[in-house]
Amino acid sequence: MRPPQAALAALADPTRRAVLERVRRAPRSVKEVADGLPVSRPAVSQHLAALKRAGLVSERRDGRRRVYRLDPAGLAPLRRYVEQLWDDVLAAYATAAEEQAGGN
Amino acid sequence: MSDDAQRPGDALAPVIKEVGVPLDQRRAFELFTRRIGEWWPLATHSVEGDRALGCAFEERAGGRLYEIGPDGAEHTWGTVQTWDAPRGLTMTWHAGRGPEAAQLLEVTFTPSEQGTTVRLVHSGWEALGEEAAQERANYEPGWDYVLSFFTPIGA
Repeated sequence: MRPPQAALAALADPTRRAVLERVRRAPRSVKEVADGLPVSRPAVSQHLAALKRAGLVSERRDGRRRVYRLDPAGLAPLRRYVEQLWDDVLAAYATAAEEQAGGN
Repeated sequence: MSDDAQRPGDALAPVIKEVGVPLDQRRAFELFTRRIGEWWPLATHSVEGDRALGCAFEERAGGRLYEIGPDGAEHTWGTVQTWDAPRGLTMTWHAGRGPEAAQLLEVTFTPSEQGTTVRLVHSGWEALGEEAAQERANYEPGWDYVLSFFTPIGA
């Protein structure tokens, strides 16, 4: 597993989560990300750099532009955790439901 | 239990889980809400771990889902936004964290041939990072901290 502190710190900032949400929908340049947000372009650049260091986005050159996209690998451990949480909870619920149905 | 991802490979998509139960819609809803304390796996999924005494819903919009600790202290896991018994509910979800890290949970109960299909949608879960970083000012909690969403460190 990738060192996680960086991913957590990167996700802690609401603006940074908004930036992540923007590149999730489609690969975008810094300008394209900034156009949809009430944040300056240099600030968006810094957020993207932090997300890249955390392994949450990747960067590719497209001519003279740099294009950023979501890197699912960085989020995979957190997503797996949330999936497991609800698997456990719903399994316990289903067991209780079956006990109730069997007892009726 | 199916893993019904809407967009395969979309790491930020809501986590969606479904389970079928052999109860009619009303009983399935009541078991999930009024009787949640009878089956919720508190030992592994609670703030206090195996010291937790129970958990309960306040059955109305604006009501809480909360855990009762050994000293009677209550830990709010989330706040009900819509209460539409027996069809479903929506609520914020910030178990083990402050409301600034709130995510959204939607649970629906749909009649099926075998009984009821319960569908749970957890969106905005990436906000789990929020409080972890605040804690970083004091110590380095790391991934273990977030993975202990509920369970106290060292439990």
